[in-house]
Amino acid sequence: MKKRIGSRQILLLIMLFLVALIPMFIKTPYILSILVMTFYTASASLAWSILGGMTGQISLGHAAFMGLGAYISTLLLMNANFTPWVSIIVVFFVVGGISALLLSPCFHLRGPYFSLVTIAFGEAFRNLLTNWNYAGKGQGLLLPFGDNSLILMRFKSKAPYFYLALVMVILMYLLVKYIDQSKLGYALKTVREDEDTANAIGINPWKYKVIATFISCGLVAVCGVFYASYIRFISPDIMMQDQSVKFVLPAVIGGIGSAIGPLIGAIILTPLSEYLNATLSSIAPGANLLVYAVILIVVILFQPRGIMGWYENSKFKIKLNNWLDKLDGRKKE
Amino acid sequence: MENILEIKELSKNFKGLKAVSDVTFSVEKGAITGLIGSNGAGKTTTFNMISGVLVPSSGKILYNGKDITGLKPYHYTSMGIARTFQIMKPLKHMTVLDNVASGALYGRKGYQSTKQAKEYAEEILQNTGLYDKRYCLPGDMGTPFKKRLELARALATDPELLLLDEVMAGLNPTETDEAVELIRKINEDGTTILLIEHVMRAVASLCKKVVMMHHGEKITEGMPQEVMNDPYVIEIYLGKEES
Repeated sequence: MKKRIGSRQILLLIMLFLVALIPMFIKTPYILSILVMTFYTASASLAWSILGGMTGQISLGHAAFMGLGAYISTLLLMNANFTPWVSIIVVFFVVGGISALLLSPCFHLRGPYFSLVTIAFGEAFRNLLTNWNYAGKGQGLLLPFGDNSLILMRFKSKAPYFYLALVMVILMYLLVKYIDQSKLGYALKTVREDEDTANAIGINPWKYKVIATFISCGLVAVCGVFYASYIRFISPDIMMQDQSVKFVLPAVIGGIGSAIGPLIGAIILTPLSEYLNATLSSIAPGANLLVYAVILIVVILFQPRGIMGWYENSKFKIKLNNWLDKLDGRKKE
Repeated sequence: MENILEIKELSKNFKGLKAVSDVTFSVEKGAITGLIGSNGAGKTTTFNMISGVLVPSSGKILYNGKDITGLKPYHYTSMGIARTFQIMKPLKHMTVLDNVASGALYGRKGYQSTKQAKEYAEEILQNTGLYDKRYCLPGDMGTPFKKRLELARALATDPELLLLDEVMAGLNPTETDEAVELIRKINEDGTTILLIEHVMRAVASLCKKVVMMHHGEKITEGMPQEVMNDPYVIEIYLGKEES
């Protein structure tokens, strides 16, 4: 089968182009900030999905690794004038290494027991930073303000952050997609499905869990670098366990185990929670969370494999594909 | 003929229970050897020790003259040993093709690209009669096909010695005959096979040698006809005739 540029690729490029044009037309910082947070959540969720979705090790401590990334890059910036761009590389290897080392003895735990350990590690890091003078204790750290500077990843308007986040989410998606289709991806998915089978075909489950942890936690730390540069204030609160859940939910709602699932989940969930927050919390405080929770429960109850799980088995997919093939002028084989 | 696998005085205790005790037998290179016995005889435990899932309490396993006792199971693939599971363990959320491609990627063929691995997997699927089902999920297929999938995935690792744990259980007579043909074909292509089986018809037509186990011990071994006509074996399977 020859590959050629068809309607799918063209449609995708048009969509990307339209998204890239958004800051030209929408100047409201509030809307832009929601979009930035959407991209950021999607990136973190994609990073999480390498360990949680592909390898099936549900981590509930990823916010701590994200926070570690944010802290390391901020401390490097404030004390050594390190540019966040270099921090990205440093943080990937340092946090990836730390998490792989810490979690490596825990991979013999299965299912919820592994998740509990990750919660414990998350809390441990949060407590460490809450009590550490050098890292600003519980008050957190304020990143230095100043003029726009690309090198320091510091901008006064939202638009540059929008593009940074957009590039980040695209790269993250392409990376996850690549791993999904690679030899490594097959090993990770085999480990997720059945460890005995993995053993029987020559895959060492422990080794591949360590590799997945390294990549996943390293990447989520990179998201942390972006977070710190964007919010410009970090405190141990960003490592709270409910923040970890924010990375898990888009993947669960979008569809665990597919590369595009976390992306779709984040695009739906982040604006939804913002919208509910804006409209409902003025009427009754907390009502937004209630409605949000109900929506989540309904989706998980009726569509446990997420939106992508529904799409893969739906008539909509067949219709969409037929329509796209028609656009290409291709005949159905 | 030389022996590809030699089991020497193999024992396994689960706390106080002796599941397997002092079992000794060998598997001839290029032949099909059967391991038979009633339920709970310790056949699968022996299998799990041979494939590295369980560590023997005592005894030795020699593969091509090399001591492999106690090695981790994931080392076995590169040595050329593959196994299937009695209780089928398909990769549920992956297509049949991907199931087999996984085996091809990490087996002895050493493919680096998934494309090559998939091509090889398609070849295997054609040989095992699963090609039409390659885009199915294992859960959507019936037992005979799942059993075949187990076999195909093990074959994809390009083994020298194939351990089959009851691949014919739950198949009807026609399907059993097809499975027998398939196993014979695999053997004729040069793969040595050690199989656990309850279907005596299949064992008799396939195996060159049969090892009979009972209560964790080896009772007898020999040609299928000899073993099956052994009065003690008949007694174990059918009970004692009242005189």
